[in-house]
Amino acid sequence: MAIWDSILALLFPSREDRLLEAGWGEERSKRRLRLLVWLFVGWAVLIFYHLVKFQVAEHHVYRRLAVSQHQKLVEINAPRGMILDRNLKPLAMSLPVDSVCVNPQKIPDVAVAADILSSVLDLDRDQLMAKLLAAKVMQKGFLWVKRKVSDEEAARVRSYKLPYVEFRKESHRFYPKGRLAAQLVGAVGVIEDEERGVVGLESYFEEELQGRPGAVRMVTDSRQRGVDATVDIEPVAGADIVSTIDERIQFIAERELARAVTANHCRSGSLVAMNPVNGEILAMASYPTFDPNVPVRKGDNLAPRLNLAISAPFEPGSVFKVITVAAALERTNLKPTTVIPCGNGVINLFGRVIHDHDPYGALSMTDVLAKSSNIGAIQVGLKVGEPALYDYILRFGFGRPTGVELPAESAGTVRRLKSWTKSSIGSVAMGHEISTTTLQLAQACAVPANGGFLVKPKIVLRRGRAEPSYQPAAHEKPVRVLSPENAMTLRRMMEEVVLTGTGKKARLDGYRAAGKTGSAQIFDFETHTYTHRYNASFMGFAPVTNPQIVVVVTLNGASLYGGAVAAPVFREVAGAALRLLDVPRDASLTGEQEPEAGNTNDLPAAEIAQEPEEPMLQPAPAPQIPARTVIRAGAQVTPDFRGKPLRAVLETASASGIQVSFAGSGMVRRQRPAPGEALPPGEKVYVELER
Amino acid sequence: MATLATIFSRIFSPAAAGEVPAAHSLEAPEDLFLVRAFPNEDVYFLVKEIDNSRVVREADPVAPKRCWKMIAAGGAAVALLVLLLVPSAYSRLTGYQIQALMAQRQQLLNERAALDLEEARLLSPERLEELAKMQEFIDPAPGSVIYLPPALGSLALNLPQK
Repeated sequence: MAIWDSILALLFPSREDRLLEAGWGEERSKRRLRLLVWLFVGWAVLIFYHLVKFQVAEHHVYRRLAVSQHQKLVEINAPRGMILDRNLKPLAMSLPVDSVCVNPQKIPDVAVAADILSSVLDLDRDQLMAKLLAAKVMQKGFLWVKRKVSDEEAARVRSYKLPYVEFRKESHRFYPKGRLAAQLVGAVGVIEDEERGVVGLESYFEEELQGRPGAVRMVTDSRQRGVDATVDIEPVAGADIVSTIDERIQFIAERELARAVTANHCRSGSLVAMNPVNGEILAMASYPTFDPNVPVRKGDNLAPRLNLAISAPFEPGSVFKVITVAAALERTNLKPTTVIPCGNGVINLFGRVIHDHDPYGALSMTDVLAKSSNIGAIQVGLKVGEPALYDYILRFGFGRPTGVELPAESAGTVRRLKSWTKSSIGSVAMGHEISTTTLQLAQACAVPANGGFLVKPKIVLRRGRAEPSYQPAAHEKPVRVLSPENAMTLRRMMEEVVLTGTGKKARLDGYRAAGKTGSAQIFDFETHTYTHRYNASFMGFAPVTNPQIVVVVTLNGASLYGGAVAAPVFREVAGAALRLLDVPRDASLTGEQEPEAGNTNDLPAAEIAQEPEEPMLQPAPAPQIPARTVIRAGAQVTPDFRGKPLRAVLETASASGIQVSFAGSGMVRRQRPAPGEALPPGEKVYVELER
Repeated sequence: MATLATIFSRIFSPAAAGEVPAAHSLEAPEDLFLVRAFPNEDVYFLVKEIDNSRVVREADPVAPKRCWKMIAAGGAAVALLVLLLVPSAYSRLTGYQIQALMAQRQQLLNERAALDLEEARLLSPERLEELAKMQEFIDPAPGSVIYLPPALGSLALNLPQK
C-alpha cells in the first residue's frame, strides 16, 4: 500500500509537496521520476488495451488463427461398399489410390514442371502447361494434374521430390472379375467430381453403396506432425451388397451364351438362370458385353452396357404357348390327352389364314406343346377365350416390370383387351402381338416349376457391412397362379417337349428336364416384313421331380430355331449349374454328350416364311454304359427295347415289372435309360417309336 | 564525441533545463585561441585507501540453515515442475506413437484391400479356365464325380465299407 501511495503521490503531487520540492530544490529529480512513472503507466495502459483487444474484442479471430496453427481437419474417406456374389466372392470393390495435384503458386518454373509431370504422368505437355499458367495467373493455390494415378506413376512422381506437388487419396472402383456380370453389377462414372453408379446394381443401390465421408480434428505440433485426433464427423462406410448370383454359374452362362451368339451369327443374346422356389437369380447374362474397368470415352458404343435380359423386350414366340396351355388347364376342361384338331396345318382365323410348320391332323394337347403346333395353340387359345387368356397373361407377370432390384427394367408390351383385333387371340396364343423380357419369361417358367406360384425375381441376397450383421432381404409372399395339380400337369407336358418334342437338345444327363422352345421371326420396321432371322429362345427347368433351376435363353437374330440353337445353351448351363449346386440326380446317367436335335421347328408365323428343312433324324448311337455305373441293390437292368414294336415292349416291361412311357408309333428307335443300365426302383423307361 | 555522461548532462543539467546559467559552457569561447574545455574536465576521481583488515565477519549460525532451506526449496520446485511436465511430455510422445500406429493401420488396411483385389483377380473363373486349358484339364465326365456320404468324411479313401 505504501508503494502505491508513493506512486500516486508522485504522479499527482499536492500543492504542499510542490512547494516543498521547490523549497528543497529536489524538483528536478522528482520531475524525472514522474516522467518515468508516466511512461511506465502509458506502457501498461497500452498493453492492457491490447490485452482487452486480443482476449475480448477479437477473441474469436485470434482463437481461430491459433487453432488453425495447431489443429487441422482431415477428411476420412468412406469406402464405397462392395458388391459380392452369393458366396461372398467380390465382384466390385473400391481401393484408395493417389491423385496428383500441385500448388501453382509454388512452381518456380512452369515449363520445367510441365515437362516433368507430362512425361511421368503421360499427359499432353502443352495442355498441362496452359493449365498451370492459367492457374498461376489466376492466383490459384490448387490444381489437379491427374487423378487416380497408378502406383507406378505415383512412385515416379514421388521420386522427383517436387515441393509443389501434393498427393491426395481418392477412392477408385475396381471390378476384379472384369467382364463377368458387367451389365448386372454395373459401372461407375465421375459425376460432379464423385464416383457414382451409372448402370446395374451400382446405379440402383447408389445411396447404400456410397457411404458418407467423415472428418478428424488432428492436433499437430510445430512440424505439423499429428499428436492427437478426435473424430468430428463419424464416417459411414458404404453398405456391401450381396447379390444372388453365383459367379461360377454366371461365368458358364456368359461363356455358353457368347459361344452360341457367335456360332450362330446372332446379333445379341441374353440368359437368366433363376431358383424357381424363391426367385433368386443365379445368373443373368447379356451379350455383347463390356469391361466396367474401362471408363467410357467419347464415341464409345454404349449398347453393350444395356442389360438385355431386363431391358430389351421381344416377341417371345412359341415359348408363350406354355401360358396358353396353362390358362386352358385352369379355365377349360381341356386335359393333356384331349385331342386338338390341327386342321392339317391350316386355319382361317376371321379371314386371316395361318399355316402350321407341319401339317398335323390332330394332336393331344401335350403334343401341341411338344411339337409346338401353331394351329393347336390357336385352337387352345380360342377355347380359353380372350378374357381368360388376357387374365392369365397378366397373372403370369407379363405387361409389368418384375420389380427386380435393377434399373431400366422394361415392362414388355401387353396390349389392352380392348385393343385386340379379332385375330389377336391367334397371335397371342402363339406368342405374337406381345413382347416380354427374358426375365419375365423366367418368372413365368418358374410357375409350373415351383408348384404354381408367381415369385418375384430377386437379385440381392443381403445388404450390410460385416458378415455377422448381414440382414437377409425379406422374401415377398408369392402369388398362386396355377393350382398344384395343374402345375404338375404342365410340368409333365413341358417334359414331353424335351423328351419327344422340339426341345430334345435340352436333355440333361442325369436329370429330367422340362421346357419349351420358341422361334419368333424378327419384324423389320423398315420394310414392314418379317425377316428370316429369329428370336430363338428356350425356357426350361430341371430336375423335373424337384426343380432347382429355371434357365431362359434368348438369341436375337438367329438363323435357326430355338430348339436348335438355344436349347443346347440351356443344356450346358443347367447341367453345370445343377452339378455346382450339388442337386441330387433324378434320372440315370446315359453318358449322352449331345442329344440329336429331332424336329426343332416351332416357328409360329409360318404363314410368312418358308421354313428351312430340318435335318433328318440320325440313328441313335449305340448306348455306352458308363464305366462307373454302379447297380445298386433293388435296381434292375434296363432291357433292350430297340427295334421292337410297342406291343412287345409292353409285354416285356409288364413281365419285368418295369414302367414304360412311350411316344410315337412304330418301332422303338431310342430309349432312356440305355440298355444294360441300372434302372432304379420306380423309375420309368422312356421309349421313342418311329416308323 | 558525445559520451554517455555528456548526453545525460545535456538532458538533465540545469543549463539544459534553462534554469541555471551554464557555468562551464562547452560552447566555443569568444577567444578563439583559448583551448576548449574537455568534457567533464571538472570531474575528479579520488582514490581513497580503506583498510578493512580489522573488520571481522560476525558468525551467523542461522545462515547455513537458511541456505540449505533455500536449496531444498529450489530442488522441490524443480521436482514439482518436472512432475508437472512429465505427463504432458509422455502424453505427447504417446500421441506421436498413436498417430504413427493409426497411419500404419490404415496403410495395412489399404494393402489388405489391394491383396484382396489381387486375389479376386487371380481367382476369376475366366483365368482359372485359361489355366485349366493350359494344363489340359477337362470337365469330369458325367458320373465320374463320386460324392462320398458325409458320414465317411470328406477324404476320398478307397476303404472297404464295414
